Amino acid sequence: MASRLLMTLQVVVPPPQKLGAVPHGTRVIAPITGGTFEGPRLRGKVLPGGGDWLLTRPDGVLELDLRITLETDDGALIYMTSFGLRHGPPEVLAALARGESVDPSKYYFRTAVRFETSAPQYAFLNRLIAVASGDRRASGPIYTIDEIL
Amino acid sequence: MHWLEKEDTSPLIGVRRRDVLKGLAASVVASATSAFSGYAHAADANDRLPIENGREIAVDSRPLMTVRIAAAPPQKVGAVPHGTRIIVPVTGGDFDGPRLRGQILPGGGDWLLLRSDGVLELDLRITLQTDDHALIYMTFQGLRHGPPDVIAALSRGEAVDPASYYFRTVPRFETSVEKYAFLNRIITIGVGETRPDGAVHRIDEIL
Repeated sequence: MASRLLMTLQVVVPPPQKLGAVPHGTRVIAPITGGTFEGPRLRGKVLPGGGDWLLTRPDGVLELDLRITLETDDGALIYMTSFGLRHGPPEVLAALARGESVDPSKYYFRTAVRFETSAPQYAFLNRLIAVASGDRRASGPIYTIDEIL
Repeated sequence: MHWLEKEDTSPLIGVRRRDVLKGLAASVVASATSAFSGYAHAADANDRLPIENGREIAVDSRPLMTVRIAAAPPQKVGAVPHGTRIIVPVTGGDFDGPRLRGQILPGGGDWLLLRSDGVLELDLRITLQTDDHALIYMTFQGLRHGPPDVIAALSRGEAVDPASYYFRTVPRFETSVEKYAFLNRIITIGVGETRPDGAVHRIDEIL
């Protein structure tokens, strides 16, 4: 499917809030305290205050539901949401859970990304569909986000 | 060294991606050259995206299915707080792909919202029934936009080349049937086409 690189995003995640068993699975809330993003058409930092509302489903799939605010280097605010899925072989997921470095090709970690902004120079973000490929690091995930053309 | 460059050495990013990242620095220089001469997305021209800063690549994907939707006349709700609301009941249709095929059950719909910036948001919920009688709940959210004359032609019910507008969706699936449980675990993208007799969506699984 035709696409092009939109940005690479790295978020900083402090220790998550483990809420435990809830009706839809196991809930973990990961506050996001910062980060950076960099791409051909935009770059800047992630503002504190967002988070990722994670749900491990009974079928073992982790659902990711992220909401963050980006601030570009020219001062524009961009609201970003991402819904994704992460799953893989049990031993790979166990290594991730232990905070080990794992080759991201060993597991499936993909998200669909949406943006909202009022800044005219970034209004193209309001009109595109994007997908991200995730790499879960001990310090927080890194997302490579592609615009679907 | 910039952290993006550090990613260059990581196994997480394949050769294709590395090439893209390495190409970014040179892409401004290359903007008017052959690297982008084949880039002919009409919606892009309409949106005036700065194409000089992006090289076209391909997300790894494979065809999941083509969904053809039959709809009843739209219910034009009109101006609502978020834009102009149109509800399109889905009366049927079919789908087929390498791993699944069947019929769309009546009863679903697409809750369309025409935003103030001219972009049409799609919000669909339908039930698929495979040829071996599994039920699959399918939803998508999507965006459709393009040049005013193209959108006007679509609204007149004319046949329009789908390459002349942007119509992309993010479908999701739920099923309890083990044979199709892979649908519960994938991210997919649809390329839509508005035809006089309904909408057609070519859906790819993102690998």
